[in-house]
Parts: sequence; structure tokens; C-alpha cells
Amino acid sequence: MVSPIILIAVPLGLAFLTTLLGLLSEKLPKYVPAVAMAFNLVVSIRLLPRALQSPIVARTAGLSPPFSIHLVAGPLGMMLSVLISLVGLLIAIYAIGYMGKGPGSRYHALYLLLLAGATGVVLTGDLFNLFVFFEILCISSYALVGCRGDKPGIESAAKYLIQGAIGSSLALVGIGFLYGLFGTLSMADIASNIASVSPMAVFISMALLVTGFGVEGAIFPLNAWLPDAHSSAPSSISAILSGIAIKAGIYAVARIVFTVYGAEAILVFVAVVGLLTLLVGEMSAFSQSNIKRLLAYSSIGQVGLIVFALGLASVRGVEGALFLVVSHALAKALLFLSTGYMIYRAGSMEISSLHGMGRKMPVSSVCFTIAAFSLIGLPPFIGFPGKFMIISAALAKADTLFTVLIAIGLLGTVVEGAYFFRIVQGLYFKEAPEGAGTNPGEDVEAPLSALVPICVLAVAIVAVGVCPCVLTRYLGAAAADLLDKAAYIRHVLGV
Amino acid sequence: MSLMESYIHYLGSFGLILIGLYVVLVKSNLVKVIIGISLIDTGVNLFLISVGYIRMGTAPIFSRTAIAPEEMVDPVPQALVLTAIVIGVSVLGLALSVAIRLYGHYGTLDLRKIRDLKW
Repeated sequence: MVSPIILIAVPLGLAFLTTLLGLLSEKLPKYVPAVAMAFNLVVSIRLLPRALQSPIVARTAGLSPPFSIHLVAGPLGMMLSVLISLVGLLIAIYAIGYMGKGPGSRYHALYLLLLAGATGVVLTGDLFNLFVFFEILCISSYALVGCRGDKPGIESAAKYLIQGAIGSSLALVGIGFLYGLFGTLSMADIASNIASVSPMAVFISMALLVTGFGVEGAIFPLNAWLPDAHSSAPSSISAILSGIAIKAGIYAVARIVFTVYGAEAILVFVAVVGLLTLLVGEMSAFSQSNIKRLLAYSSIGQVGLIVFALGLASVRGVEGALFLVVSHALAKALLFLSTGYMIYRAGSMEISSLHGMGRKMPVSSVCFTIAAFSLIGLPPFIGFPGKFMIISAALAKADTLFTVLIAIGLLGTVVEGAYFFRIVQGLYFKEAPEGAGTNPGEDVEAPLSALVPICVLAVAIVAVGVCPCVLTRYLGAAAADLLDKAAYIRHVLGV
Repeated sequence: MSLMESYIHYLGSFGLILIGLYVVLVKSNLVKVIIGISLIDTGVNLFLISVGYIRMGTAPIFSRTAIAPEEMVDPVPQALVLTAIVIGVSVLGLALSVAIRLYGHYGTLDLRKIRDLKW
């Protein structure tokens, strides 16, 4: 049986190989990410049933935890690893055609590094190792945002880099704090001893860690970099940043708050912060005229809803949050991918320039509509069960505070509906702007290498939306992995 | 005085971190901001080293048989710092290359003038 280590080692190794291949041939490097992610997908799916029974603990250096760096491939980690490799594979296929000319092998190497970092974040059981994988993820995403070297890309990369670097430093101080308190870096070992130190020390280190990782997780008010970075990057990168990179940040925050600290007391605060993030994101998205900025702000809104659901801290709430993680990753990746070629054909990111695309690019427009409806939460798409689970979990708390909060949250959904319906209306029922159509080849549908991933994502969104049980049966184990601290410690330390 | 002596590393490292944060927040020249990030990195590394430091301790190698484990400094933070330095250097390298490209586009490094996007 294979060890989960190869899920990280293979993309990492191939990333370095990609740049060498780039010296030999111009064409080879662009196929490497797809191959690596297909491999990861197969291995993750094969490991998933075993991880569901009990977490797979991978040792290094022949020592058992807590004495060495170890990976803990639990139900949640493997589920997210499947999601990362699936979305990564589809975006890699899209990028074969989309990134045809331009940055070349560097782009594909950085893309693989980003995915290796994200996989490492969700699988690791060691706090410093988490930081290292997080930095791999962050540094490659700074570089990818600016990889075309154009004016907005470089500017937003600088902005993203400054904020990200400060966040990482704060997280590292928090890790140093914890090492000073406990003399260990194993998350399970820290978790089992957390009650033995003063509440003040616990609070300071947790505040540092949550702030540090929250920058990448785009939790309000740490998300100023996100709209620029997501809107200036190439569409395939926006898709992976929105779909995967934010989720890695959220995962790190959730793992630290729930498993390491078991901090029940701050969860109301988490729920309120999540709701603020939701409202700020949706309100800002509503007033945007640039389609990619709009989608970026909508990501902030969705992240807010996920954080709110995590803050409910009930099993149902966490299940809903995880469902929304999956549904948002699929839907937002599809939105960015389908708009990628629309923007390319229209030559502008303004929403008004996309009017009339429903006739020119029918497949992309239909898929865009499916993803938009899914994000709003209309049945029968994948977004509906997720939002339904979160609302019922909030009501099940039978607490006036949470009832009021979810009511305000639903207002955000109404706003979300308003702007997505406006775009879809523009796609189908408005005439193309004056002066369009002069560019030859503008009316052509996206190429096959882009249509395949777009259609696969659309089919996945409808299929899981019609039959959510294919996903929900894994969610119970994944939510328990996050919430059941005692079981996590028992599995990792073997006591 | 002895209290001061035993906490001096922590004071120094947090002083560096705060100076760095001040530079990042207040200065508008991108290179100065990058210097600020570098200061924060240095402060964090100093903090990590101080966590494992023992006064008058030696390297954790059994070079002499008489050496007791209590006299050795903790090697784990040093390994962490080694990794953190490498990460810090790569972030700085990337930041400086971004600064060069930014200068190429705008002809200035003043962040107040670089605001095509909403800062």
C-alpha cells in the first residue's frame, strides 16, 4: 500500500523536473501538471476508503509521533486531497490551451508547487511542517499572480506579497510560542497538553496563528489583497486561488482552532467574523463592474459563510461548511474558467462587454449560468444542499443569536442572487455592445481543451446537486476528524 | 537586573519585529517596505533561537563524554530557524524582483503613486 507522502513528493519532484524539461522542449512542460494531478487523484481515491476507517499516520526518519515530522491522512485530509487533485487536474487541462504562449515552463512548475503546498497543508500533522507547506503555497501564488509580468499583475503581486509575508511571520511567532510552551511541534501532542498552560498563553499564541493563517484564508479584515490578486491573475490562476488556496488557509485556521486548541469559547466570535466577511464580500461584489473583481468579492462572501458555519461548532454545521468548501471550489473554478475565454474573446473584463455572449459562446455561457445558480444556492445544483445544511444547523442551535445571524446571512444570499442574475440576464437577453464583432474569431466558442474541464465541472455540479448523498456520506467522518480532538490524539500518538 | 538579563533576547526580538512592522506600515517606498519585512523576519528568527537557548549552553553534540544533556541548547529551534531563513530569503528575492518589475512599469517605487488598482 502506498504512503500518503507520495501525494506531496510527486508534484514537488515533477515541479523541479518541469523547468528542466522546459530547456529540452517547448511543448512538454504544459502536460506535466495534468499528469501529476491525474496520478494524485488516483492515489487519493485509492487511499480514501482506508483513511475513512482510521487516519493513516505516515512516519519519517523511523520515529513514531511526536518525535518526527509526520503526516496524518485522516478522512478530512484525504477528502480535501481528492478535491485539490480533481480541481487541479481540470485546471491543468484548461491551462494547456489557455497558457499556450507566454510564461512557459515557469508557470507550470509554479502551478505544481502551489498544488504540492496545498496537499501538504491538508495532510500534515506537524505545526512547523504546516507552516513550510503554507509558505510553498503562498510564495508560488505570489509568483503566479504576477507571472504574466503585466502592470496590474505585478502591482497586485506586490500587495499580496507584503500582506502575506507579514501574516506568515505572525504565524511563525505563534509556532515559536507553542514550541516554547510545550517543547513539541506535533499538533496531536500539543492538543493533548493544551489544558496544562495558562489561558493567556493559549490566547496569545492562538491569536497569532489565526491572524497569520487567516491572511491566506481571506477572513475579514485580512482580505484586502484578494480582489486585486484574483482579478489580475490569469483566469486559470484565479480559479485555483479561489477554489483551492483560500480553502487551504481556512483548513489551517479550522485545524488549529478546533483540533489543537479545542477553543469552544471563541466560536461565537468566529461566527460573527464569518458573517461580517460574508456581508462585506457580497456588498462589495454587488457594486463591481469588472467581472473578475466581482467573482473575487463573491469568493470572500462564500468564505464568510464557510467560516460562519464552522463557528456553529456543531457536527451539522461543520458538515455544512465542508460541503460548501467542495461546492464553492467546483463552482468558483467553473466560473473563472468559463469567463476566461469570454474575457479573451471580448477583450475586456467589463460586465457590459460580455452582453450577448449567450449566443456567441453557448457552452461557456450555459456552464457559467450553472455555476452562478449553484453559488446562489438554487436547486438542483451543488450549492443548494450546502446552504440548506448550514441554515438548518444554525436553526438547530435554537439560540436567538444564531437565528438572527443566519437571517442576516440570508440577506447576503439575496444580494448574491441579485448580481448573478444581472450577469446571466446580460449574457442572454441583452444585445452585444456597439463595435463588438469587428475582431475576427470573436464569435468562436472556447477550444476543446477548455470545454472539457468546463463541462466536467458543470456535470459534477449538477450530479452532486441532484444526489448529494455521494458527498454527504464522507462528511460525517470528515467533520468528526476536525471536531473530535480526543480521537485525533489517540490515532496519532497511539495511546 | 537578572530578570532583565534572562528576558533580553525576547525584548530584542520583539523590538525588531515591532520596528519592522512600523517600517512596513509607515514607509511608502517599496524597497523600505521590503527592508521592514526583512527586519520582521530577523526578529522572528531571533525569537525562535531564544526559545531554545540555554545560558552558557553548548552545541548538542557529544564531543566530550563529560558533557551533560542539561548543558546543551535545544537543536530543534535552530533547525526551524534554518528553514525560516531559507523561506525568508526566497520571499525577499521574489519581493525584490517584483519591485524591479514594478519600477519598470511605473518608473517609481513610491507606493502612493502606484495605485492603478485600489490600494
